[in-house]
Amino acid sequence: MTSPYETLGVSRDATQKDIQSAYRKLAKKLHPDLNTGDKGAEDRFKAVSAAYAVLGDEDKRGKYDRGEIDETGAETPPRHFYRDYAGTADAAGRYESAHGFSDFAEGDDIFSSFFSRRAGGQQRQRGRDAHFSMEIGFLDAANGTKTQINLPGGGPALDLTIPPGTRDGQTLRLRGKGEPGRDGAPAGDALIDIRVRPHPLFATDGDDVRYEVPISLSEAVLGGKIRIPTIDGAVNVTIPPHTNTGKTLRLKGKGLHKSDGGHGDAYVILKIVLPQAPDPALSAFVESWAAGKAEDPRKGMGG
Amino acid sequence: MNDHEFCEHLDIEVKVLHIWVEQRWLMPQEAEAGWLFEDADLARARLIQDLTGPMGVNDDGVDVAMRLLDQVHSLRGRLAVLMNAIRSQEPAVQKLILSSAEED
Repeated sequence: MTSPYETLGVSRDATQKDIQSAYRKLAKKLHPDLNTGDKGAEDRFKAVSAAYAVLGDEDKRGKYDRGEIDETGAETPPRHFYRDYAGTADAAGRYESAHGFSDFAEGDDIFSSFFSRRAGGQQRQRGRDAHFSMEIGFLDAANGTKTQINLPGGGPALDLTIPPGTRDGQTLRLRGKGEPGRDGAPAGDALIDIRVRPHPLFATDGDDVRYEVPISLSEAVLGGKIRIPTIDGAVNVTIPPHTNTGKTLRLKGKGLHKSDGGHGDAYVILKIVLPQAPDPALSAFVESWAAGKAEDPRKGMGG
Repeated sequence: MNDHEFCEHLDIEVKVLHIWVEQRWLMPQEAEAGWLFEDADLARARLIQDLTGPMGVNDDGVDVAMRLLDQVHSLRGRLAVLMNAIRSQEPAVQKLILSSAEED
């Protein structure tokens, strides 16, 4: 067992003042409430407190020096420190303070509400978020645009930036445009659910876009350069001679914006179409085309 | 417990308690019959006693200490929630978050 003199780090002939100042230094360093996460601090603080309970009192110190009591002679009763309660429902609502991290809540990311949401007890309550929904066109969502939204309940129209690659069901956040906070607390956010109208040509498949593009009989047979629409404008593509219906071209990077900054791809399915009006020359050629008549594309389908 | 029982536990005068509450070092719940104190308030008051008594901290020092302490506990609370959320992710996601944090 260490003697209380050793515990406090003072000599046997130390003055009461030396003992007090030694205890103060150790207590400030070891108090469990000033070492919130250090489990070992509690045991060391208890030892120092027990030592001071003996030596800090001249009368008890004399008894200890004469061997009338031992170092446990003035042991302090067990106690709970505030750190055991902090963060429990008991104390959290009243003593919690968001001042230590309110700056984390200023960002525009999804975590900002994680740091601003906790506001209990006597703290200021941020206004509630207001929810709205809005329908936008497919190409506006895919390429991004600036628009305005009129919120129900009046007030000026709000500018809304639709980022490129916005998907159906995505929620956009307008900070501070929700309901006002109480007692000068910040307003909530406006959350806008985005519905994307389907496009007659472009169909989405994850980050990719799939669609059918018609080609003429001449283009199919002879090949050549053709113009193909994509979600951000037409592009020139060369198709080889003898291109059949169902051939799929992959246009790299011509799909939707991805959240990581990249793009999906476009898959273009080609489809041969005959001329709008029958052409006598074409009919006469096919009539005289013996190999064409001999061809059976349904061979092997049975029947 | 009410304010008299609370003062008895701590061996302090009601006058002292009023100062502590006025400084907002303690925020008891307010009931019709007066203030209500919980065990958490008692532990908090013992810390104030430690600070002002044997540790020799003056009132301004206690004020600073209590404010910082409340911030520390709130931060620890949010950090604990965040850590639990991270620990509930797939090991691969946890590794990603850790390595990204260690790059900073």
